[in-house]
Amino acid sequence: MTYSRTLTGAVAGLALLMTGTVVSAETLFWSTQARPAEERQAMRDGVLDKFGSEVDYQPNENGPWLTRLQAELKANDGTIGLLGGLHGELAALSADDLVDLDTLGLSADSGTFNELAKLGAENMQYIPWMQASYIMAANKKALEHLPEGADINALTYDQLIEWAANVHEAEGRPKFGFPAGPKGLKHRFFQGYLYPSYTDGVVRTFASDKAVTAWEKFRELWEHTNPASTNFSFLQEQLLSEDVWIAFDHTSRLAQAFNERPDDFVAFPAPAGPEGRGFMPVLAGIAIPRTAPDMDAAKSLVAYLLEPETQIATLKATNFFPVVAVELPDDLPPAVKASGEAIAKMSSAPDANPGLLPAGLGDMGGDFNRVFVDTFERIVLAGQPIERVLEDQKRRLATIMERSGAPCWAPDAPSDGPCPVE
Amino acid sequence: MTAVDVAAPAQASTVKTGRFVYIASVFLLCAWVLVPLYFLLINTLSSPEAVTSFPKSFVPEFNLGSLEFFWNFSGILNAIKNSVIVAVLTMIISIAVGAPAGYALSRFDFRGRELFRLLILLTRAFPLPLLALPRAVMFIRSGLDDTVFGLALVHATLAIPFAVLITFSLFSGIPLELEEAAWTLGCDRLTAFRKVVLPLILPGITASAIFAFVISWNEVFAAAVLTIENRTLTAFLLASLAESPLYLKFAGGFILVVPALIFIFAVRKYLFAMWGIANR
Repeated sequence: MTYSRTLTGAVAGLALLMTGTVVSAETLFWSTQARPAEERQAMRDGVLDKFGSEVDYQPNENGPWLTRLQAELKANDGTIGLLGGLHGELAALSADDLVDLDTLGLSADSGTFNELAKLGAENMQYIPWMQASYIMAANKKALEHLPEGADINALTYDQLIEWAANVHEAEGRPKFGFPAGPKGLKHRFFQGYLYPSYTDGVVRTFASDKAVTAWEKFRELWEHTNPASTNFSFLQEQLLSEDVWIAFDHTSRLAQAFNERPDDFVAFPAPAGPEGRGFMPVLAGIAIPRTAPDMDAAKSLVAYLLEPETQIATLKATNFFPVVAVELPDDLPPAVKASGEAIAKMSSAPDANPGLLPAGLGDMGGDFNRVFVDTFERIVLAGQPIERVLEDQKRRLATIMERSGAPCWAPDAPSDGPCPVE
Repeated sequence: MTAVDVAAPAQASTVKTGRFVYIASVFLLCAWVLVPLYFLLINTLSSPEAVTSFPKSFVPEFNLGSLEFFWNFSGILNAIKNSVIVAVLTMIISIAVGAPAGYALSRFDFRGRELFRLLILLTRAFPLPLLALPRAVMFIRSGLDDTVFGLALVHATLAIPFAVLITFSLFSGIPLELEEAAWTLGCDRLTAFRKVVLPLILPGITASAIFAFVISWNEVFAAAVLTIENRTLTAFLLASLAESPLYLKFAGGFILVVPALIFIFAVRKYLFAMWGIANR
């Protein structure tokens, strides 16, 4: 029998496989953004290929992204050159583990973004990279059911509810779609849209009377919402399959609908409540971990990503908008045009009430989101009394604010010390 | 089951009904496995518009657009190669370690045997994300990081408990007398094992090898954390697929499923042989 020969072969094979990693000159760009296959390919072929040296763009789920980074920091030996992530993800890292980036002389146009990028430290811990927002989208078939006198670009929540009710009645099925699925971004709707529009705050006003009204209104809207929404995480899919005619979601999660059938859908601003038209930006940033193998290459990659041409290429690849002043070309994809216009209308609306991303929460950002998700599930899905749920969740929220020491952010009035839940 | 009630009196019709129920359940079980695979195939070979439309056609339109996208997706061939190597290594390691352990558990009486069996299962009690961080730190320090061998070691620890338990029950099913007879006829322990026991348990070993293969093939988290250049197919595709448009999800799912199916087909005759043993 040839046992010994097989064995020798196996051992030789193992030895070959173990001959360590080849040290490469590539910069590893470890990101949580542009994960969808097409966006990832576009990042490689349309954005990073024109950078002088090789870049290995690797998008990851949040879990492996963070675990790998922590392992490298702990081992004091890194392969990751550049980190890309949302503000909230970068904020969960310790400022000591990120290289100060002030010396690069790079920043976003928005002073607020630059301030956020300091993560509460003295210096810039990350550089703002790209931004997006949440908007509404509708199938043109739904437009005929708009309530009388309603302007689609200046809707109120009452009109939205009436509209959804009209469509429900006409079609016999609820056709409003909300990203309440496991990967859906529902918590951002409450933090950046519903609460600011109804209470002009998020934390301070969490359990106020106005908040009770907000949840009552949302319950009304839920009656005309496709009940399968608890499985929807990317409303572009349901818009395309026409399970949903009116939807709220992240611009890049609606993009495919506009790009595939640009003539069938309209994008429009989020609705307004008694306290104005609340809306919220999404901010992604790039940072360099202290264990980066080639600091200079990483820094020049940061500079390259902030160049106007690269920012436009990034916009085309990911549907995230530039953070620096650029002149947008005419050949943009339909989704970018549609969502860009909707965002512009939203931010220039006379009743605009822009909110900020939660800041200063550190690694408690996830717990903060959890409070809103739980509140939604208990009030809307489980039908529990609103006041009682808010009273319960209020205590959790207060603990999170005290532990993290985060001061209030807009639209909440500024605070000395941790933002109080009133 | 109205058919049963009606057919009860005459014996011939009982047999007939039995046959009917039998065939129906076989049909149902096959459909349970095949229909989703068939839909996966149809949607993979459909244009993006056809994927989101309803009702579905039962004949694929042979649009190769989605598959072409992956064909041109940089790094995918390398990822497939890595996946196969890791899975095969996992198979070898888990059998090489698991089968002797299973043999020892079934043939020798030693102190702490029950505890040992429990401990083996315990390795599956901790979620991988919890273990991934210290493991990654250790791997980076020891140079195992980002090698297919390192990843195969991790996957082998996941597969070994199954290998041990499967081979343990197999060895226990083979009477010791068979081995003793071989010893009296001049075999030593090793040759008796090789000539008598091994042929009998080969199908079982194949089964646990398939298990190891599938465990390794499907594992994402460790692969995503522990490899960078040498990504496996699952780690490479899954993070992207979860958020990709529907037609790419189908095509990507198809690519993930096919190699595993090919492997299982290739070794199926050993599996059927095992069921043969069970019937005897």
